[in-house]
Amino acid sequence: MRIVNPMSESFIDAARAAPRLTTIEGKTIALLDISKPGGSVFLDRLEARLRTEHGVAQVIREMKPTFAKPAPAEILQRIRGADAVIEALAD
Amino acid sequence: MRLIAILQTDCPTCRLITPYLNALGGSVSAISQDGEDATREFVQQMDIRFPVERDAGFEISKKFDVVTVPTLYVIDDQDRVVREEPGFDKTALNEIAAMLGQGPVTSPYDGAPSSKPGCSSRHLEVHTEDAAAEALDLHSKRGREASVIEVDDDAVEYCYRVFGDALPVVPPTVERVEAMLAGLDRREVIARIPPCYGEATVEKIAANAVMAGCEPKMMRVLIPLMRAVADERFNAHGVQATTHFAAPLIVVNGPVRGELGFHYRQNLFSNVARANSTLGRALQLVLLNIGGARPTGIDMSALGNPGKFSYCIAENEEENPWEPLHAEEGLTREQSAVTLFAAEAPHGVSEHKSRTARGVLKAIAYSLATVWSYRACLGFEAMVVLCPEHVRTIHRDGFSKKDLREFLFQNTGIPLRCYEEPGEGVEQRTMYKEIFIDGERCYQKFRTPESIKIVVAGGTAGKFSAVLGSWSTGPRGSQMVTYPV
Repeated sequence: MRIVNPMSESFIDAARAAPRLTTIEGKTIALLDISKPGGSVFLDRLEARLRTEHGVAQVIREMKPTFAKPAPAEILQRIRGADAVIEALAD
Repeated sequence: MRLIAILQTDCPTCRLITPYLNALGGSVSAISQDGEDATREFVQQMDIRFPVERDAGFEISKKFDVVTVPTLYVIDDQDRVVREEPGFDKTALNEIAAMLGQGPVTSPYDGAPSSKPGCSSRHLEVHTEDAAAEALDLHSKRGREASVIEVDDDAVEYCYRVFGDALPVVPPTVERVEAMLAGLDRREVIARIPPCYGEATVEKIAANAVMAGCEPKMMRVLIPLMRAVADERFNAHGVQATTHFAAPLIVVNGPVRGELGFHYRQNLFSNVARANSTLGRALQLVLLNIGGARPTGIDMSALGNPGKFSYCIAENEEENPWEPLHAEEGLTREQSAVTLFAAEAPHGVSEHKSRTARGVLKAIAYSLATVWSYRACLGFEAMVVLCPEHVRTIHRDGFSKKDLREFLFQNTGIPLRCYEEPGEGVEQRTMYKEIFIDGERCYQKFRTPESIKIVVAGGTAGKFSAVLGSWSTGPRGSQMVTYPV
C-alpha cells in the first residue's frame, strides 16, 4: 500500500550539542531564568556557588519575559558568547 | 507610483512580508543587504517574483538612511519618497496597496500577526560582514511535496504505530489523500505548526485528516483552522509544550454546522457526530505529526487532557437568544467560524433548584471561582457552556449576554479569609482587586468581564452547564482566536 507521509519533513534539524566543557573554571556561564516563581532563588544560590567554589570567570544573568513563549532573539543574542548556559525551570 | 523594499535575507520580519510584496505585483522591487549567495537562496526559497538587487557597500541603505528592515518606500513619479513604512504592519500594507492602485493584500485571518517589528539595518550593526546568518524558513508559501511511503505489511498497524494518537487510524493512501485535494494546491504552506514549526502544506493537512476519518468536505474548515492554530496570539508553542492541562478546544459557529453536520445538542462534548470527532482528531494529529509535540516528548503535560483525542463542539445558536460567540468576536451571524480556546476539561455545574437567573448564575460563579486553583486570580480565563434550560431561566429574567457576563464577573471572587495559609495565588494577592460579594470582602477572580467566554450548547433536557478553565492568558499566554470559515 502507498501512503502519503503525514509527518513533517521540514523540521528544523536540531542543533548539534556544543562540545562539553571539561572544567568551568575561568569560563563564562550564562544563567537563564525563564521567569517562573522560584527560579531566581535557585539561580542566586547557583551563581554564588559558581563564583566562590568553581572559579567561574563571569556569570551572565538573563530572564525571559514569560515562561510561556520562546526566548526573544535579543536575549539569545546576549547569552550567545557564553561557554555554557544553565536554564532554571522552577515552580 | 512604485515601491522599494529594503530587506535582509535572515530577518524573520522580512520573510514575513515577502509574500505580501509578491501580491503587490509589478510596481515592487527590493534591495537585499546580504551577499549574492544568500540573496539568491532567499529569492528561491521565498518564491520572490519581484526584482531584487544587492546593496553592495550599503550605498542604497545609507542613501535612504534606513534604520530597520524591512522598510518600505513608496516613491512617486518625480522620484520622491511619499511614504516610509518600517517593519510589518497589515493596515499599512493595505494603505500602500491602495496608493499603488490595488485592493487589500492582507486579511486579519491569514494567520500572520497584525504587526511585527523588524531588525536593525545591516549597515548599523557592529559587524557588517557581507554574509547573512543561516536563516530559518518560517514564511515561504511553497512547501515540498510529501514523500510516499510503501508499506508492505499491515498498513493500519504501521500507521497506528508511527503516526497515531494511540488509536488505530485510517491509512492515508495516495488515493484517499487525492480525494481530499480536489481543486487545492497541494504544496501551498497554510501554516507552520508549533512547537517544531513543521510545514502544514495542504497535502500534509489532508493526510492527517484522512487518518482522523474526515470526509473531503472538511478541508474547507481545516484550512482556516490551521491558520488559527498557528496564530501567534493563540501561542500553540506554549499550549503544546506546557505541563498544564490545556488542550485546544474548537468551537464551530455559523451555517457550516448544518452543512457539515457539526453537532451542538445533547452529548456535544462526546462521541456523537463524525464532524466533531474527526475535526478535533485531525487537529490533534496535525499537532502531533506536523507540530511535533508528542505526549511522550515535547508535550510535557503532567496529567494531560481527554480532549487531546478530540476536542470540538459547536454552538447551539438555535437555543441562544443572544449573540453567538463568533458574532461577539466581530464576525456576522451568517458567517461560519472556528474559535480556538486553550481549555481544561469541562467541569459540570448541576443546578436544578434555582428558579431565577441570579440563582443559576450564582451556582456558576462558585464553580468559576475554583478554576486554575481556588485562590489564584487574574492570570487565566474561563469558558462557560450554558445549557438551554439554564439559558431559558436566565433569559426569562431579562438578562442580556452582557448582563450575565457582568453578573458572573462581579460575583466571582475568593474571600480574603482564605489567604491566611501560604499557597497558590497568595503571594500575588497584592495585585488582586478587592470587591464585596454579598457583603463579604473578596478578591475578584477575573481581570475583565471579557475574560469569561459564553457559549450556549447542549441538549434541551437537563440543567447541566459547564465551566472550562484556560491556560495562562493575555499577551504572555494564550489568547482565544476566531477565524472565518
